[in-house]
Amino acid sequence: MITLGIESSCDDTSVALVKDGVEVLASLVSSQIEIHRRFGGVVPEVASRKHLEAILPLLNEAMTAARCEFKDIDQIAVTAGPGLLGPLLIGLSTAKALAWQLKVPMIPVNHIEAHLTASFLAAGRKPEFPYLGLIVSGGNSNLVYVTGPRQFKCLAQTLDDAPGELFDKVARHLNLGYPGGPVIQKTGEGGDPKRYRLPRPMAGKGYVFSFSGLKTAVMRVVEQEGDRLNMSDLCASLQQAVADSFAEKVEMALNETRTRRLVMAGGVAANRPLREKMQQLADAHKAELLLPTIHLCTDNAAMIAAHGYFTAAEAPANSLEVNAVASWEMGGPHNF
Amino acid sequence: MKYLFIDASENSTFAQTGNAAGFRSQVFATDRNFAARITNICDEMLQNANMTFADLDLLVVCTGPGSLTGLRVAAAFLRTAAMLANKPLVGISIFDWSLQTLIEKNISGRVRLVMPTLIDKAFSINAELPDLNHSQPELIERTTAGAQPDTYGIRFSYPGVISLQPEPAALHKLINLDCHSPARSLPEILNILPLYVIPSQAERKFKEAS
Ligand SMILES: [Zn+2]
Repeated sequence: MITLGIESSCDDTSVALVKDGVEVLASLVSSQIEIHRRFGGVVPEVASRKHLEAILPLLNEAMTAARCEFKDIDQIAVTAGPGLLGPLLIGLSTAKALAWQLKVPMIPVNHIEAHLTASFLAAGRKPEFPYLGLIVSGGNSNLVYVTGPRQFKCLAQTLDDAPGELFDKVARHLNLGYPGGPVIQKTGEGGDPKRYRLPRPMAGKGYVFSFSGLKTAVMRVVEQEGDRLNMSDLCASLQQAVADSFAEKVEMALNETRTRRLVMAGGVAANRPLREKMQQLADAHKAELLLPTIHLCTDNAAMIAAHGYFTAAEAPANSLEVNAVASWEMGGPHNF
Repeated sequence: MKYLFIDASENSTFAQTGNAAGFRSQVFATDRNFAARITNICDEMLQNANMTFADLDLLVVCTGPGSLTGLRVAAAFLRTAAMLANKPLVGISIFDWSLQTLIEKNISGRVRLVMPTLIDKAFSINAELPDLNHSQPELIERTTAGAQPDTYGIRFSYPGVISLQPEPAALHKLINLDCHSPARSLPEILNILPLYVIPSQAERKFKEAS
């Protein structure tokens, strides 16, 4: 069964073809990062225009790359939320035209849920339950206990910034560039993660994340150190603080749920210090750690296609009547 | 010629089908739900006209000006459908539609069309009827809309401005004119875009970016 996936929830347009939910035939991404870099963030109106320009050429390229014809498509999975409404609507309207013309089902997919499925897809596997999922990205930091394709129990969320947001803000403050995650990782390479003492926010305070305090702490270090500031050490220390903060809550959850499968997903899952920390934690708990490949960490349509495949049975019957939604809780019903 | 036209530039969606025998138009109170209802609207229009999608000779999308979100949804949908089904696609602006409406009213010579946008602004174009060619849309203060003679306000009443409602019959005539070169290939289809004429903050940023 071939699923066509379409993703346009933020600044990446992506089209993918996935066979049986586990085999990526083609997955193409048209990134707008160079355009949004100038603004230090995503401008929704600009993103919407770029999605509209990019989507049809990308669709054709993906079909060619997968050696597929439109008649080979069995179903269409499309991100319906959460995300930026204007951008989401481009992917959704394109998907609707495809489903309408090809007379195949359309499955609205929750973008955040799909990030978790990406880690299984990276291993060429079907999702296996239960597992502990940690989603870390520009807009999310969620720790969830997952018992089925759309069954999530939220364990912890952030009170303020998501880690990607923290990295963006800090990078802007330090004039390192955009997006923050990759530039902070690069600057922190070879740096001493113990050089600057940064807080571990919410340590010992149960299932809750908070990252805005870290930004303040970094700014204080910059002020105090002045010319003596070692940028590499600061970036390494910051990444360590973030990794430790996540590790504490994940360890709690591993102990409580006795789950032996840990899945990390989202754009910030590409962060090397965080990946290393999670691997240590998984090893210590004899748990399996599933990580997406770098391509599958960032927003992509392959994960949308795969998640659509595994959640097709739960799609609303009148799915062509769904609208895009800016916010959509994981596992929650689609808002009409 | 059998066609399907969609105008999503406003809160309500205007759709029209036509063939050699005439046309049928309908207004749908879609508000923010246009994207949710787009397939239903197309199905309903075709069914009421006793046509199937396969029967259509032409797809027509309104390019605005108006709600960019709505215009983009209609464009994304119809561009994809046109590509998949190998149907020619034409983009028609509300300016062209309004000019044709004036021609149908036997108005000729120099006219100015204004159309409200943002809170206190309006677009303005000039044309010499019955020639459909018109000047590039210009952004003016709404208070100056009635300052010139022979000014028509598109879906707009204002002192000194003659109110004008673009009419379905004029649209039907316009679509059937031989002046369009419909998009058939992918590069041509990609050129059919909403009119990006609002110089918002995003617009300025966009200019800076490209
Ligand atoms: Zn994402």
